[in-house]
Amino acid sequence: MTDPFADIQEILFTEEQITGRVRELAAAISRDYAGRAPLLVSVLKGAVYFLTDLTRALAVPVEIDFMAITTYGSAKAQSGVVRLIKDLDVEITGRDVVLVEDIIDTGLTAGYLLRLLQARAPASLRICTLLDRPYRRILETLDIAYRGFEVPDRFLVGYGLDYRERYRHLPFIGVLKNEVLAAGAPAAPPTARDAASPSAAGPPDAGAAEP
Amino acid sequence: MRSRSPAGDGHPRFAHASEAEFARILDFYGVRWEYEPRSFPLRWDARGRAIESFNPDFYLPDLNLYIELTTLKQSLVTKKNRKLRRLRELYPDINVKIFYGRDYRQLLLKYGMAPAGDRQLAPR
Repeated sequence: MTDPFADIQEILFTEEQITGRVRELAAAISRDYAGRAPLLVSVLKGAVYFLTDLTRALAVPVEIDFMAITTYGSAKAQSGVVRLIKDLDVEITGRDVVLVEDIIDTGLTAGYLLRLLQARAPASLRICTLLDRPYRRILETLDIAYRGFEVPDRFLVGYGLDYRERYRHLPFIGVLKNEVLAAGAPAAPPTARDAASPSAAGPPDAGAAEP
Repeated sequence: MRSRSPAGDGHPRFAHASEAEFARILDFYGVRWEYEPRSFPLRWDARGRAIESFNPDFYLPDLNLYIELTTLKQSLVTKKNRKLRRLRELYPDINVKIFYGRDYRQLLLKYGMAPAGDRQLAPR
């Protein structure tokens, strides 16, 4: 019998912790954008889960739009430079724009997107990220307006975060086992239903979270 | 100094394959870089000649940031850490960031490029 949690070392943030923090971020955005209707721009695919929950908790009217870019090392990234796979459907000139990210690590991707969006002359442009991992930050000047959790230098999956396109659907954010990373492929990806049972993976490590 | 701009031709001759990979990552995201542009003397002999120096691998001019990659074994990392501390003492205005082997492997892993069989991918 295969243990569906075989690949998860520990849960860093439970579904409840994520929900609570997302609501706090939504309250802050709602307060800052009172009387306005910001456009929330998200990058496919990792931030989709966060964007969905964030928008449902907002108290101001919003629009959403999506972008997709090539990532370094992907099969589509043969040109040597980052390339826009999907552009926004709406014009952002004169709009209040919030770039919604799942995680900011080196800041290189966010930096590229900010340059791209800033060139289109929005009225304002802010960053909202669920997870911030400043340890390897290269773009140290990146100004993050809304930050969910600061996370340690560990490989995280779940709630949109993937490893080789797996584990996105997990309702929590967990640390992937070293063995899975070393092997280069997941042993037994869990299902969403299995992941909903916290007892299977042990108690969450609340001490690792820095809200 | 060996200098390069994003997406151009003619990479310098890198001392290590990891440096070449890092340069390609910077190119990919449009971050300008220079390779080993400056040497920082750390110790001098009685005649004032530098007998030890630190040469960061990369300088990112738009970020005013030096980056040192350390993918070497732990014994050499200790020596490099000592030099880095000395650098920060002597040149407090210099902004330098060091990427250790583990950091670098995590970075490659993020892009799905971790070397197969690497057993040190995640922090212990």
